[in-house]
Amino acid sequence: MELIGLYPTWFEPMVGSGWIVGIIATIHVLASHTSVGAAIFFAALATIAYRRNQPELLDFIKRYGLFLLIFSYVIGSITGPGIWFSTTVASPRGISALIHSFVWKWAAEWVFFVIEVVGVYLIVYLVGRVDQRTHLRITIIFGLAAYATMLVIIGILSFMMWPGKEAWFEQGGYLYGFYGANTFAQLAMRTAFMFTMTAVVGGIVAGSIQDPAFKRDMVRRLAWLGIVSSIAGAAILFWYVNTLPEYAHLVMENRLPEYFLPAMLGVLGGILVYFLFTLAMPRRLVPALAGVMALAILVFGLWPGEVARESIRKPYVAGQYVYSNQVIARDVPGMGISSEIPLLEEQGFLKTHVFIPDELREVTPANAERVGHALALVACSNCHSLTHTGMRPLAHYFGGNTDIDDIKVYLQGALATGNTLYMPKIPLTDAEAEALAVYLANLADPRVAERYAARHQGLAAADAPHSHLE
Amino acid sequence: MTVDALTLNALKDVAGVPSHPLIFLILGVVTFTLHMVSVQVMLGAAGLTIWGAFSRDRHWRRLAQSMLLTAKIAVSIAIVLGVAPLLFVQVIYDPFWYVSNVLSAWWVIGFIVILIFGYLLIYVFYGLNHHLATEKTRCPGSMILSLLLLLVVGFIMHVLVQQMLSPDLWMSWYAPAGAIDASGTGLHDYDLFRFAFFVSLSTLVIGAWLIAYRRYVGQRADARELAGYLDWVRTLAVRLSLIGGLVSLLLGLAWLMTLPERHAAAIPVVLSLIAMTAILIMAIAPSLLGKRLESAALGYGVMGLTTLAILLTAVAREALRWNILQGIFGYAPLDYRINMDWYSTGLFFATFLIVGGLTLGYYLGVAWKSGQSAGVYTPSPALDRLGTLSISVLVLWIIHFFAVGFWIWMQ
Repeated sequence: MELIGLYPTWFEPMVGSGWIVGIIATIHVLASHTSVGAAIFFAALATIAYRRNQPELLDFIKRYGLFLLIFSYVIGSITGPGIWFSTTVASPRGISALIHSFVWKWAAEWVFFVIEVVGVYLIVYLVGRVDQRTHLRITIIFGLAAYATMLVIIGILSFMMWPGKEAWFEQGGYLYGFYGANTFAQLAMRTAFMFTMTAVVGGIVAGSIQDPAFKRDMVRRLAWLGIVSSIAGAAILFWYVNTLPEYAHLVMENRLPEYFLPAMLGVLGGILVYFLFTLAMPRRLVPALAGVMALAILVFGLWPGEVARESIRKPYVAGQYVYSNQVIARDVPGMGISSEIPLLEEQGFLKTHVFIPDELREVTPANAERVGHALALVACSNCHSLTHTGMRPLAHYFGGNTDIDDIKVYLQGALATGNTLYMPKIPLTDAEAEALAVYLANLADPRVAERYAARHQGLAAADAPHSHLE
Repeated sequence: MTVDALTLNALKDVAGVPSHPLIFLILGVVTFTLHMVSVQVMLGAAGLTIWGAFSRDRHWRRLAQSMLLTAKIAVSIAIVLGVAPLLFVQVIYDPFWYVSNVLSAWWVIGFIVILIFGYLLIYVFYGLNHHLATEKTRCPGSMILSLLLLLVVGFIMHVLVQQMLSPDLWMSWYAPAGAIDASGTGLHDYDLFRFAFFVSLSTLVIGAWLIAYRRYVGQRADARELAGYLDWVRTLAVRLSLIGGLVSLLLGLAWLMTLPERHAAAIPVVLSLIAMTAILIMAIAPSLLGKRLESAALGYGVMGLTTLAILLTAVAREALRWNILQGIFGYAPLDYRINMDWYSTGLFFATFLIVGGLTLGYYLGVAWKSGQSAGVYTPSPALDRLGTLSISVLVLWIIHFFAVGFWIWMQ
């Protein structure tokens, strides 16, 4: 029997596994982007400090560095692998696809990450303990290594959306998967916004400076950094959107609310107003205000941004060949990958999925609802909650319909043929479609499955003597 | 369906691997060793910090202050070094790692949260006890709780690794009596002797670490004033190595002797004996060497050799996994389909050896020397050149990134 490598499913009913990945990823983006931006900012500040003999700037670097030790190098460095952990349990084949194409890139990032972690300790603890040239060198190395981590991860994030070049599908190879127009647009956008985050989070440190003149100086430096980077980021956002493939635009038009882009620009406008305020009245900046602003960016800027990025690559989760429900959806000759759709069309999930309990591999009237539940777990639950809470509950999509035949027609007509925008093609055998329809109808009325079993068992009983007579 | 070689091979990633699987296997063992050594330093240092924090003895309190800083940094290093084995295990053991994680998904998420709290609590204790050597301990509970939480995350990781070894039980965990349990709330398998063995190695490792610490501090300008303290540290280190090593040995034997019957045949006898012998040697060597530990070669060499003992232990551990997964279940990691990618393979090793080697060499050289210097430290011209070279290779790496990228983009 031919099998496909689908894993067991983790189903989280409260918010959904996707949200858990999203929460961890968003926190990580804030912490990591802040630290990369800060690393480069430190290199610039240290250069100024030593050239113009402004030792107070070194003091700021030390204080900001100490803050980053907790903010970025505790929370950020744990949520980084935390994204691996959470995607492993939410979308094992999605993360596996990325790992198996880009393991060496991630390993190279790891080298830079080690340099970065050692570097931040040296920057903080060796201020005043090594000569100026040495400290500056340490700071520049830290900045370069930190930025290199971003260079590496950008290509992988772009691949998640769309392989860099169409040639990757035919020829494979890391380079065609990694580099493309979206890679550089995304790099430019994230580079700009990382400085915005550095400026906002830096305000938490600058806001607590006691010396008024130095505080004014630092807050204004951060404000200019924030103003320039957020304007640049907003401009680059349009470039980034233009590099998205046509299909992503179609999904954006149909799935994202109309107010999404204006709202994002509004958030950027709000950030700009904040920086203009701190530029004009640096004395008014206190750590709490900067902290609230950082939180606002997390909730109103990063979260919707990451959710949108997640949405527009649907129905795929990685490289335009792994569906969100983990099925390999297309051939990638360059990598020797074959679509699993034909096998599923021929034999269905129940026969080919490794982790279906044996007693559910054949559909019977008695187990139809349980089989349907297993199928819903496998094929739907990555994006749709199977309960009334959580992410896009499945039950809400059928208007309380309890007509099994109706639902089955939809499943076989729209879903199994792949004719629904944003949804994967979900091939189902006739028996599987029936079982899933029973399960879905039963979500609206918990007596459906029982009635279905009774009716079909009754029919079977009625048919039995008839068959016998024949 | 029973999970056999057919099903396990079906779970392998369809993209194959970009280099020979043996490379990932070796890198996995080596980086796991580095990760484990830093974890054991972290646990040992945290334990000594707590012990010292409750002591009134001035040597203990001084040591506690040093070990607190060590523990704080060791957590960072353990986390960053842990990323590499986590990466490599997913490359060649992906079917096992992913199934095990999904079956305990909530614990996997809990790992992240608990580790963050455990780590933050070290900072809480550190923030409250900058002068632990001379002032009364404040909030020792934070450090104790931190250590407990770090042990909890260690236990979660242990369970995830342990669950990998029993594919024959996966279905009974995922769908007991045929009813699918997709909650991911269970911890299904553990081996307390195995877990205790790896934790106990922290005593041996911290003993070796203290021998190196003693040597390092002994080279500082103020070493003469610390003579009594340094002698006390040596005595403690020798004792910890001996006791820790022997306890580890017993726990290691208990682990192997109590393996489930179906795994017992998979014990790599020779490799296990080599690892146990190495642990035994490192347990008793410091006691035998006595004052000779004060030489540079032995002062630092003991830590190097202890790391080697951990490497041998990691090799035996890997061999056990290999024997179970290949010998019993027919999964052959080396048969993974190869989609050779020379560019990314070469780029990694160039980054690892050249960029990493030069840069970390420079960083650690500066850190090492400045720690032993009084006043402001100025590196030697040779170390200076290493710094300039480090910046140059990093700049070259970044230029290469853009050059190759634009070339591909424009095609």
